[in-house]
This record gives sequence, C-alpha cells and structure tokens, in this order.
Amino acid sequence: MDPHDNNAFSVEVNSDGILVVHGDIDMAGGPVLEASILEREASCPIVIDLADVSFIDSSGLRSLLGASRRAESRDAVVTLRRVGPEVMRLLEITGTTDLFAIDAR
Amino acid sequence: MTPLTPNRLGPVTITLPAEPTLSRIVRLAASGMASMAQFSVDEIEDIRIAVSEVLIALIEHGESGDVELRLSVDNGKFRIDGSTAVSELNLDHPDLALCRTVLDGVGATHGIELSPEGRASIWAMVSSSTTGE
Repeated sequence: MDPHDNNAFSVEVNSDGILVVHGDIDMAGGPVLEASILEREASCPIVIDLADVSFIDSSGLRSLLGASRRAESRDAVVTLRRVGPEVMRLLEITGTTDLFAIDAR
Repeated sequence: MTPLTPNRLGPVTITLPAEPTLSRIVRLAASGMASMAQFSVDEIEDIRIAVSEVLIALIEHGESGDVELRLSVDNGKFRIDGSTAVSELNLDHPDLALCRTVLDGVGATHGIELSPEGRASIWAMVSSSTTGE
C-alpha cells in the first residue's frame, strides 16, 4: 500500500520507533492505528507522527484516547508529533488536549 | 423540476452497507456538495466531520444493516439525515456522547431519535456563516 495514496490508510514505524500515520483516522483507520499502538506500547513509549493526517473524527480520536489511558496506567504519556490544525481542533473541541504531550506543526 | 442553485442542492440520497471504509465516500460527496453550495473551506471541514459523526453513530450502534443518508443544502444550511435499523439504542452511551460533543464543537445542530419501528434517525445541520442563520 502506498502510504502517500490519499485513498489509503497506513501506519509505519520509522527508524526512531515513531508511529507515522498516513491518511484519515476515522472508523476505518482508527482500529488500524489502535492495533499498531497495542503492538508496541508494552515495550516502547508511544510517539505518533500525525503530519500526514488531515482528518480525524470521534472514532479515530477514541483510538488515541485509549492509548492515552493505557499509557497513564503505566505512568507514561502518548506523544503526538507534528499535529496539524484539523487534529488539534478535534482535541480542543473534546477537551482532550491535556491528555497528550503535543508537538504541533 | 425544481432548479438546483448553489443555495439549494439535493437531496442526494445514499444507501450504503454498514462498512466503515465507505465513510470516506460519503465525506467526499458531502464536501463536493458543500463546495458547490459555496460553503467556506472551514465550513466544508465542519460538514465532513458532521457527516462522519452521523455515520459513526449509525454504523456503530445499528444492527449492521444498510444505512440511509440524505444530504441537502437549503438556504445556506447543509443538512444530513441518516437512519438505520437498531435493536436498541443507549442514548447515554459514551461513544454517542463523544459524537454529540464533536457535533456541538463544529457548530452543528443535531438530533437523534428512535422510532417505534426500531429505526434510529440522526440528523445534523451546519449553517453557513454568510448565507445561513
């Protein structure tokens, strides 16, 4: 799957161990992202690069909130990197900004 | 035939299986209509989110049957009406509450009801700041 294809959703792990998300985090993409997070969270801090995400809805947000809750139970925090305005807006609307360490674009 | 103008479009009716991957298609249709109706870029983004939230509520809380959606624009108001069969609907479900929070956040008026025939109906409406209320 081409991660730069607008019709595709993908999550890749880069050489720094960062989860790099491509595409819309919606009802279809959210579970894929959640599976990628679950695969890594027991052994690594979760850092998610959202530079290539220009759409997220509440179902996608739930995958991030679940990761945040689980991280909190491990005294950790999920880091969101290169967060674009669309994702930031949803975090602000839902009052969940403080649940993440955020590095905006 | 009623003429379609940028201020009055649709209704466009879409029937789709309860398949999450199809939500992108509905967002595309909605953003196309909103663009034709001269909603602003920010308003189109709000409409894309509103359509997605309506779909989430219907697909995640429905019985996995078809979802019917009706998109229309009238006098600067973009309206989304959706329905699907449900066996029960817990209006206090936290996921539905999150949908409502997001709809409120994008400035969409919205409503949800359960018919005696066992169909959940959800609507949301986004108004243009320039032509609507």
